[in-house]
Amino acid sequence: MSYITLDHGSGGKLTLELIENVFKAESGLDSAVLGDIAFTTDSHSVKPLFFKGGDIGKLAVSGTVNDLLCVGAKPLYLSSAFIIEAGFEMEKLKKIVKSMKEEARKSGVEIVCGDTKVVENGKCDGVYINTSGIGKIIRPIEGKNIKDGDGIIVTGTIGDHGFAILNEREQLNLETDLKSDVSSLTDLILPLIESDVDIKFMRDPTRGGLAMCLNELCYRRDFGFEIFEEKIPVREDVRVIAEILGIEPYYAANEGKMVIVMDKKDEERALDILKSNELGRSAVTIGRVSSKNPQLVILNTKFGSKRVLRMPTTDKMPRIC
Amino acid sequence: MDLEVFNDPEIVKKLSETIKNKESSRINRTVKIMHICGTHENSIVRFGLRDLLPENIKVIAGPGCPVCVTSSRDIDAIIDLALSENVRITTFGDMLKVPGTKLSFQKAHSLGADIQMVYSIFDAIEQTRSSKKPNIFFACGFETTAAPTASALIDLDIPDNFFIYSVHKYTPKGVYALLKSGKINMDGLILPGHAATISGLEVYERFVKDFGIPCVSAGFEAADVLLAILLILKQINSGTPKVENGYKRVINYEGNKKAQEALNEVFFLDSAIWRGLGEINETGYELNRNYSRFDAKKNFGIKYPDNFIEHQKGCRCGEVILGNITPLECHLYAKRCTPEDPIGPCMVSDEGTCKNWYDGGGIE
Ligand code: SF4
Repeated sequence: MSYITLDHGSGGKLTLELIENVFKAESGLDSAVLGDIAFTTDSHSVKPLFFKGGDIGKLAVSGTVNDLLCVGAKPLYLSSAFIIEAGFEMEKLKKIVKSMKEEARKSGVEIVCGDTKVVENGKCDGVYINTSGIGKIIRPIEGKNIKDGDGIIVTGTIGDHGFAILNEREQLNLETDLKSDVSSLTDLILPLIESDVDIKFMRDPTRGGLAMCLNELCYRRDFGFEIFEEKIPVREDVRVIAEILGIEPYYAANEGKMVIVMDKKDEERALDILKSNELGRSAVTIGRVSSKNPQLVILNTKFGSKRVLRMPTTDKMPRIC
Repeated sequence: MDLEVFNDPEIVKKLSETIKNKESSRINRTVKIMHICGTHENSIVRFGLRDLLPENIKVIAGPGCPVCVTSSRDIDAIIDLALSENVRITTFGDMLKVPGTKLSFQKAHSLGADIQMVYSIFDAIEQTRSSKKPNIFFACGFETTAAPTASALIDLDIPDNFFIYSVHKYTPKGVYALLKSGKINMDGLILPGHAATISGLEVYERFVKDFGIPCVSAGFEAADVLLAILLILKQINSGTPKVENGYKRVINYEGNKKAQEALNEVFFLDSAIWRGLGEINETGYELNRNYSRFDAKKNFGIKYPDNFIEHQKGCRCGEVILGNITPLECHLYAKRCTPEDPIGPCMVSDEGTCKNWYDGGGIE
């Protein structure tokens, strides 16, 4: 007898297997590409519901908006469905709705329909939100033609969201201004999509972090990645918290970053476009596609040694998104 | 932060060059250096340190993962209790997925047993305060966690419904016994950075005296581990094995006297079953008579089957723990045995060698 465990939802290898074996679906892209329409859906649960830098409402909007951007779409419409626990404070709900509205306005999308269900007290953690989204494809980005030497760009520091949440939840009480990076990336990514740089693939490295994102991309493909520890931007406070908790930043969720596979010839131009936006100031190439070790993400450490950065298997991080 | 020094790429490179060019080149054979601490294995894998060592220097992981050496006899017993009585079991997260002969804590939980993860004994005691049923803390770990257990029992005001099932183990004697029996062999020993803060270094003098093995304590940064390896090689080359402190900023020779006293006050050392390794005398921390009111084994009449045999289901953890094979030599590794569906305990804990290798070893 096998059961669903929390690890099946961790965004790691078990999630992939669940999608393949039970849902019999492919888990290739962040949104479905249907002609010139992109369509996606995402459910959100987070503990705590309000955290430094945002709340579940902001997360629910930006998560879906970013998934649409990933396939080269301009996000247009969202639905939102709430599952609320009886006894949940009205004021909190209002606050969540307000931040959803704000984030929707910021990302240029309209929330056009919704649904509400209330479940018994104790049957859910306050509130869960599902959002679905529709976008208009500007140009489809589907992970095709990825080849040796393509650059891997991250648009900023990694691990901020995961560790900000852990810092609050584990009450580490570190004096830091670390906050979640949760943000919709329309302003950052749309100009890139609208330009003519050769984007091969994009993904927002949420659950499972950078490690999951890259592993998933080379899963069953004929290429792998070589990335360089020294190039990967990590905040100093994130480094410290990571050290204390014994969790590497590569596995921590991000909610306002993008990983982009870019043809080498357009890398510089792409970085210029990204850096001209506040959200992409520290965008940088962290490594390259390599066919030498297919299906493997090789991390070159700052000491000059090499190791494999695996797909997270069990949940390295307590559930945070 | 001064820890930076120990992770300075330049220093790390210098150390690895010195190891290569000055010391290892003078030794015309394979040198087996063992560490006995899961956190060391974690550092070695995370920093890719094996990749920085010359061919003939092999660093192997010994019995350094407390979860891995916890007998399935104890896991079975506590799970049976959790399923048959109205009790709550608390334990560390690492323990949850470790399979006993029948079930793991996690599977027992999905069958309705009340099992909660805690971060420390203090957390376990706090949880007990708001609970009406007996709470049993399944206390796993070496000296480093046995010491807090001891001081909590001495110092804290503990609710009547709090109990302990101790599977705490004492490392130095365990490793000594394994060496003596010939089950493990090595040319040098990296002493555990955490456990030795409690036990001190004197207990390791016997290793030098009886087996002529260089023993060097080490911290957990990249340079710490390489420094210990370098010191061991130097001792080998000069033919003067000794106990040496490579982690002076944290460990002192005497250890932590207060913690040692607390351990002696609360526990005595009894023989214990080490999973995969068998029974070893004077290595299991059991509660002293004055503290027997906390002893779950006594208060809940725990019984063990006669002639208990550890079922390993093809798992070679025993050999992995002894450093006799690497995980790659186990044919279940990464195929039938993965962290999400582990066959043996070494694939469960973050301190387990198989788990560490799986999560990111060198390049295979
Ligand atoms: S890979 Fe699994 S089965 Fe093999 S020794 Fe390790 S834990 Fe045991």
